[in-house]
Amino acid sequence: MRKFILRRLLLGVIVMLGVAFITFFLTRVIPSDPAAKWVGPRATPEQIAQATIELGLDQPLYVQFVKYMGDLLQGNLGVSLRTRRPIMLELQENLPATIELVFISTIAAVFLGIPLGVISARRKDQWVDHLSRLFSVGVVSLPTFWVGLILQLLFFRTLHLFPMGGQLSTEIKLTMEIPQITGFLMFDSLITGNFRIFQDALWHIVLPGITIGLYPVGLVARMTRSALLEILNEDYITAARSYGLSERVVLWSYALKNSIGSTSTVVALSIGYTLVNTFLTESIFSWPGIGSYIATAVIGLDYPAIMGVTIFSAFSYVILNLVADIIIALDPRVRA
Amino acid sequence: MTEYFEIKNLSVGFRTFEGVRDVLRIESLRIKRGETYGLVGESGAGKTVLALTILGLLPKPAGIIHSGEIWLDGQDLLKKSDHEMYTQYRGKRITMIFQDPMSTLNPVFTVGQQLARVIEKQQRLKGEANMKKALEMLDVVKLPDAARMLEKYPHELSGGQRQRIIIAIALTCGAEFLIADEPTRNLDVTIQAGILKLMDELQQEFKMSMLFIANNAGLVNVVCKNAGILYRGKLVEDGPSEKVIRSARHPYTQTLLSAIPRDKSEALKFASIVIKPEAERGCPYYARCILAEDACAASEPMLEMVGEAHKVACFVAARRQA
Amino acid sequence: MQWIMDTKKTLQPSLREFRLSFYLLTRNKLQLASLIIIILLVLVAIFAPLIAPYPGHAISETNPDDKLQAPSAKYWFGTDELGRDMLSRVIYGTRISMQTALIAVGLALLIGVPLGAIAGGMGGVVDEIIMRITDVFLSFPPLLLAIAIAAFLGPNLRNAMLAIAISWWPWYTRIIRGQAVSIRERQFVRAARAIGTPKSQIIFKHILPNTFAPVIVQASMDIGGVILTIASLSFLGLGAQPPIPEWGLLISTSRTYFLNAWWYSTFPGIAILITVLVFNLIGDGFREVLDPKTRKF
Repeated sequence: MRKFILRRLLLGVIVMLGVAFITFFLTRVIPSDPAAKWVGPRATPEQIAQATIELGLDQPLYVQFVKYMGDLLQGNLGVSLRTRRPIMLELQENLPATIELVFISTIAAVFLGIPLGVISARRKDQWVDHLSRLFSVGVVSLPTFWVGLILQLLFFRTLHLFPMGGQLSTEIKLTMEIPQITGFLMFDSLITGNFRIFQDALWHIVLPGITIGLYPVGLVARMTRSALLEILNEDYITAARSYGLSERVVLWSYALKNSIGSTSTVVALSIGYTLVNTFLTESIFSWPGIGSYIATAVIGLDYPAIMGVTIFSAFSYVILNLVADIIIALDPRVRA
Repeated sequence: MTEYFEIKNLSVGFRTFEGVRDVLRIESLRIKRGETYGLVGESGAGKTVLALTILGLLPKPAGIIHSGEIWLDGQDLLKKSDHEMYTQYRGKRITMIFQDPMSTLNPVFTVGQQLARVIEKQQRLKGEANMKKALEMLDVVKLPDAARMLEKYPHELSGGQRQRIIIAIALTCGAEFLIADEPTRNLDVTIQAGILKLMDELQQEFKMSMLFIANNAGLVNVVCKNAGILYRGKLVEDGPSEKVIRSARHPYTQTLLSAIPRDKSEALKFASIVIKPEAERGCPYYARCILAEDACAASEPMLEMVGEAHKVACFVAARRQA
Repeated sequence: MQWIMDTKKTLQPSLREFRLSFYLLTRNKLQLASLIIIILLVLVAIFAPLIAPYPGHAISETNPDDKLQAPSAKYWFGTDELGRDMLSRVIYGTRISMQTALIAVGLALLIGVPLGAIAGGMGGVVDEIIMRITDVFLSFPPLLLAIAIAAFLGPNLRNAMLAIAISWWPWYTRIIRGQAVSIRERQFVRAARAIGTPKSQIIFKHILPNTFAPVIVQASMDIGGVILTIASLSFLGLGAQPPIPEWGLLISTSRTYFLNAWWYSTFPGIAILITVLVFNLIGDGFREVLDPKTRKF
C-alpha cells in the first residue's frame, strides 16, 4: 500500500511539473508580446521594456522556466494588474467563500447523487429510473450560469424568497461584527453562537448552492447508475440473494462497495467541474470567491491574476485526483 | 399429493431482440426428501436457468415463466411473491452453490466478512457467537488454519479453497434443499474428488436433499440416486442414475455418454455425425439424431415410461422395449 | 497482399449489428425524438436567413425604437436593448453554435487522432511520451485550460475554437491509442509486420481506418459539451464578442436587463438546454448500444 502511495505521489509531482510547464508556455510563449500582457493595456513602451527585463523575458527560455518554477515553489504568483496586490494573498482571501460552495455541492453530489444512482440502477426502466435519468441528463445539459439567473428571476424577483446575491445582507454587514476565525463564514458564525449571522448566511447560500450543486448531483447519479448496473449483473450479487440476504444489504453494502473506484473518480471529476463552474456563477451572485475574482480578471484582462487562478486550480485538481486514486486503492484487488 | 420436491410442466423463456426464446421445458422431475438428483446437460442447456427459477432469481424482465409448478414440501414456489421467497425460502430452506467460486465471492470483502454476514442473517448470531460459528463451518469443510483464512480476500485463495468457502457459506444457511450448480466445474480434476466426497458426507450429515447439476455424467452416477438429461432446455430422459447412465435409452444420452451400443450397426451409426435441418415443432434433438424418423419432426415427444421409474422422451426409444 | 487489405471489411460491424443498433436506438421514443430534434436544429442552422423573421437584427441592424419589448406577435421572443428581435438572434445562434462546435471538434480530432494512432501503433518510447503529454493535459479540470488559452490568445470566437480544440484533443488521443494497441496485437497486423511492412503504412492503412468508428461516435456525442463550453467562454467574455448573437454572449449581455426583461435570458438559455440535451440523449443511446453489459438481454 505504501509503495502504491509513493508511486502515485511521484506521478502526481511529475504531472504538476507538466502542468507548470504548460502554464509557463501559455504565459510566455503563446502571446505575441508577453511583457505587455503582464503590465497591462495602458503601459508605456518604457514600462514594457522594464517589465521585459524584470520578468527575465530577454533570457533564454529554460532560464525563464527555472525562475518561473522558483517563483511558484515560493508561492509567488505575481501581482494583480488591477489591485496591485500579490495574487497569492488575494487568492487566500477569496478562497473560503468558494470552498463553501464547492463543499455544499460535493455533499449534495455524494448524499443525493449516489443514492439516486443506486435506486435508478435497481429499478432499471421503471418510472423512478426514467425520471431520475431525465433529471440527470437534463441537469448536465444546463448551462450553470443560466440556472443562476433563472433562479434569481424566480426566487428573488418574482417570489421574493431568497436574496439576490452576496454572502450576507448589507444590513448585517454594516451593523454586526463578522467572526473571522477560519474564514468560513457559516462555520465561524456557528461556533461563535452567532445565529443571526448564521441564518443570514444560510439564506444567502441557498440559490448559489442549488445552482452549483445541480451538475454534480446529475453527473454522480449517472455514473453511479452505470457502475451499479454492471455490478448488479455479477454472480456474487445473485449468490448473495440466494443466501437470503436482504435487498438493502445487497444493494448498499455488497454492490456499492464494489463501485468505490468509479465513484471516487466521478466525485473528483465533479469537484473539478464545480470549481470551474464557480468561475461562471459566482459573479452572478456577487459571491466573494475566486470565481468572481477570475471573472473580473478576465474582463479586465488582468493576465497575472488569470494565470494565478489557473495554476492554483490546476494544482488543486491534481491533488484531488491523487486523493481519489488513493481511495481507489482501498479496493483490495487494486493493490494486489 | 406431490413429492417432496416436484416440478410439473415447467416452461421458461427468455426475451431477446429476436423474440422470445424457450430455454427450459421440464414436464416432470421428482426428488424425494434426503435424496440427490443429478441433472446432466451441455453448456447452455438451461441448467442454471432452472436453478435460478427455483430460487425466484430469474433476471427480470428478460426471463419469463410461461407455465408450470415447482413444489417444495407441499408449496408451489412459483406462486410465491418475491418477498415470501426472500423471507421464507432463500437461504432458509433453499440454498445454492455456484459454479465459479471466483465470481461468486464478493471481491471487496474478506471471506470472513461474507461468511459472517450470512451467519448473522440465517443463524441470527453476532459477535463472538458469530465468529465461533464461522470457525466451525470452516472446520466442517475441512479448511485448515481457519482463523487466518477468514481474513483473506477471495483473490488470495486457490480455486479449491474458494469452493470450500462457498460450500461453507451455503451450509451455514442450514437449508434443507441444496442446489449445486456444477460445483466442481472450474477445479482441477484432482481437487474435484475431494470436493465431491465432502459434499457427499455433508449431505448425509445434514440430511439435505440436493439437485446436483453437472455436465459430466460420470460424476452424477457416483453421487446421485436419480438422474435426468437436459437437452436444449428439454428434459429428455429421467430415472435412476444406474439406468440413465449405464443403460441410456434416449439417442442423445447415448451419444453423450458413448454408451455401449446394441450391435455393430448401431455402433457405426453412432460414429457418424448427422446434421439435418431443425424440426420447428418436433423433437429438439431431431437435427442431430441418427434414429430420427419423420414422426420425430412432426411433434415433440413427451416423457414415457420405458422401465421401472425410467422415462424417456423419444418416440423411437419408447417403442423399443428393454 | 489481398487478404491483408480486405481486413477493413472483417473488422467493420456486420449488417446485423447495424440493424440491432438502429433497432435499439429507435425503440426508445426519447432517443428517436432527440434524433429528430437534432435534424431540425441542423436545418435551422443551415436555413437561418430564411427562417429568421428579422435576419438583419442578427447581424448588424439595430432598432432602438423597439428596445426591450416583451414577447409579442411582432417579436415572438421579445427584443433586446438595441431593439433587435431575439428570435432571429437565437436562430442565428444555432448556426453559430453548430459551426463553431463542428470546427472545434474537427480540429481536436485532427490533432488527437493521428497522435493516438502513432502512439498506439509505434508503442515504446513514442507511446510513452505522447501518453504522458496527454496525461498532463488531462490533469487540468475541464474548461480551465480552454479559459486560460482563450484569455492569452485574445478574446474572440476563433481563438475560443482553437482553445477548445487544444483542450479537447487528449480525449481522442486516448481513445484512438487504446484501440490502436488492441488492433496492433491482432493477427493481421502481426502478419503485416512479419513480412516487413513499414510501421507508418501499418498505422495509416490498417490501424487508422479501423479505429475511426468509435471516435467519430464519441466526437458526435461531444458536440453538446462543446456547445456548452463555447457558451461558457462567451459568457465570460472570452469567446464571441458583440454583436455576434452567440447564446452564451446573449445571456451574458442580458444580465444588465434581465430582472425587468425576463425573455432576454430565458430564450437563449432554453436554446442551449435543448440543444445540449438532445446531443447528450443521443450520446446515451449510443453508449447503451455499444456496451452490451447494460442491455436488458
